[in-house]
Order: sequence, then C-alpha cells, then structure tokens
Amino acid sequence: MQKLGEFKLPHFFNYPPYFTLQPVRDTREKQIQLWKELILDYCKIQKLFVIALEEEFPLFTNTVTERSLTNEAREAFLSALVSEGRAEWMDKGHRKCLILWHRIQDWADILLQFAKDNGLEDGVVTIEEIRFGTESQGTELHGIDRTILNRALKLLEQKGKLVVFKGTSTDDEGIKFSV
Amino acid sequence: MRRRPGIGGLQTAAAARDQYKKLGENVAKIRTDMMKEQLSTFRSQLEDFARKHKNDIRKNPAFRSQFHEMCAKVGVDPLASNKGFWAELLGIGDFYYELGVQIVDICLATRPLNGGLINLQELCQLLRQRRKSDRGVVSEDDCLRAISKLKVLGSGFEVISVGKKKLVRSVPTELNKDHNEILELAQGQGFVTVDEVERRLSWTSGRAIDALDTLLDEGLAMIDDGHKDGKRRYWFPCVSPISSLTGIDSL
Repeated sequence: MQKLGEFKLPHFFNYPPYFTLQPVRDTREKQIQLWKELILDYCKIQKLFVIALEEEFPLFTNTVTERSLTNEAREAFLSALVSEGRAEWMDKGHRKCLILWHRIQDWADILLQFAKDNGLEDGVVTIEEIRFGTESQGTELHGIDRTILNRALKLLEQKGKLVVFKGTSTDDEGIKFSV
Repeated sequence: MRRRPGIGGLQTAAAARDQYKKLGENVAKIRTDMMKEQLSTFRSQLEDFARKHKNDIRKNPAFRSQFHEMCAKVGVDPLASNKGFWAELLGIGDFYYELGVQIVDICLATRPLNGGLINLQELCQLLRQRRKSDRGVVSEDDCLRAISKLKVLGSGFEVISVGKKKLVRSVPTELNKDHNEILELAQGQGFVTVDEVERRLSWTSGRAIDALDTLLDEGLAMIDDGHKDGKRRYWFPCVSPISSLTGIDSL
C-alpha cells in the first residue's frame, strides 16, 4: 500500500481514473464519496486545517501513477465537503478551504472536556495556553487552527459556558470558563 | 434343438422364440435390478462417507469439490433442497445459502465501483476476507455453486467468461459481443483507448465510441484523462487486479 509519510493511502488512490472527474452520475457520486473520506482522514491525521486549491497539496497528486486532480475536480470534492458541513470556503473565489474534520460543535465539546480534565470549570486560561500550552499537549486541541478555535469559543460563549476576554495584547486573550 | 419339419417344427420354433424373448426380458430386468441395487448401495455408501467426513467436507474446498463430483456421478444433488437428508447431514445447504447471501451483498456493495460486473477471483477474495472468522476456506468452485443456486432464484446473477477470466454479473445489463471484445482487450492493461479498439479489433471509430460510451454509462468503465499523452483511457474495474479498487476494508 502506498504511503504519504506515515499515512496509508487507500487503494483507489492508485487507480488512475479516480483522478478524473467522472461524467456518469452514479460513478461520480461514489468517486466524490471516496475522496471526501480521504481528505477528511488525511487532514485529521496530519492536523491540517486549510487547503489552498492552487497550492501543492500532497493528496491531489500521485507521483507514482503520474496523475493530478484538475482544479475542477478539487473544487468538486471540496464543495461536496462544504455541502456536508465538513468544510467551509474561506473566500468567495473558492481558493481556500477550511477543513472541519471535527465539526465546530465537536471542537466545542472537546474544549469543555479539556476544561473538566484540567479542573478549569471555573478557571481562566489563555488562548495561547490552549493552543500551545503543556496541558493541551497530546490532546487534539494542541496546534488547533485559530479560526476554528474562535468559532468554537463563540459557540460556547453563546451557550454561556465561557467568556472570552482580551488582555493587554492579543497574546493575552483568554477565556473564563463557567461550565 | 433339432429342427423338425412341418407344423410341429414351426410350433417348436415359435415356442423357442418365446422362451428366448422371455429370457431376454429377464436378463434385461436382472441387469436393471442389479444396477438399481448397485446405485442404491453406492448411494448409501456415499451417505456413510459424507457422515464420516463431514468436517473435511466443511473445511476443505478441494475435498468438497471432489465430493460434489462424486455426488453428481451418482445423481445426487446435495444442494437440491435446503431441507432433507443432505442438507441436514452436512449443513451444506446452509453453507451455500449463506455464501449466496454474502455474494449478493458483496456484489451490491461493489456495484458503484464496478458497475455490477466483478472478477470471480476478486469476489472470492472479498468473500474470504469477510468470512475471516469462519472455519474453512471458500474456493472459486464454492462461489460458482452458490451463484448457480442464486440463478435459480431468478436474481439476474450470472457468470460470464471474458477471455481467460470469469466475471460475475449482478445486473441485468446484457453484454453484447462488442462489449465482450472490449473487456477482453482491456484485460491486457486494465484499460483501452479508442485508437486501440479501432486498431486491434478493426472497428470504425463510431462503433468503438458507441460501445465504450455504453460501457461507461452502465458504470462498467471509468474515464481517465490524466495521462500526459492526452489520450483518454477507459478503465474497467472488473478486469483490474484487486488492489486497484477500494472499499475492501469497509466491506
């Protein structure tokens, strides 16, 4: 099985026609489904949050079979993810895509769990600490994309589970939990 | 018997003919009776054999296949009915029934990938993977038998030969001779181009494109426009080796 780094690629990745957007509807639907799953899995394992269509993304090219997804195909697959709520376009031109291998709601739950695990139910913690601190190491929160984190925080704020406050500089942005 | 002239002689001859005729009928009857007895003996010996080697028949596909051949010679079909002596003795009816259900399942699951045509070898492989936990191996012979039982149900399942390979068809799509020839051609590299079809089969461009488009529409072919030579390739999942397809783990 071919690997990309440590990631094990599924068999269809080596079957050339999967790199061409199929014209027949049923076949195309299956193709899109396979690519959606692959993109989500890959991003989750590699902790990637953004895909820029025009840049080199390892999944979009197979150097062994010498096939590359056309822009049309890339957009088709990512659009399918967007329709499913597993991704969001970051710009009108559809050139950058935010990948939600965890939905925002899932991230919110993970944040709450983080608070409980660290005795922070009533506590205060900085954004920096959440993203890069020692407590978050080894958890999925570590290295989380800023945009996604903000969205999750907003969601929890609306539910009254926490309050976001700004410190003296952006580095001091923090949250107070009230779980 | 000494021939006697006159009416007396004729009567004797007639009587003699009658006797020979009766003897002939008797002999025929004796032969038939003997055969019936032999057959019945053979059948009961076969039953004894089946009883004794029940486990081997269940576990060993080569053994199982030879057992079927023996049965066929004696005119016994262990799969004739799901109930009855053989089915109960060997549970073989259940075995093939179960296999049939799993085969239908696999064909349905892979249909979006191969259009309803699957390589027999690949089907067996997927079957084996699915039955990993079950004791006993499943052979291609077993698959074919299970499929032939499926046919009886009128389920549209059929095994077709394309070149050296056997493909299992699970959709009503009829493949005509043109389609068959393309599939056979595709066995070489897993794909064909329009040029290749025209050249190797001596067809017109229209005929080639027509056939390929039908195969594409039926979901049996996939297009590939990514080669640097710019020529469109038509790939056929049903003739490609197993590793080309996916979804195996999720089956």
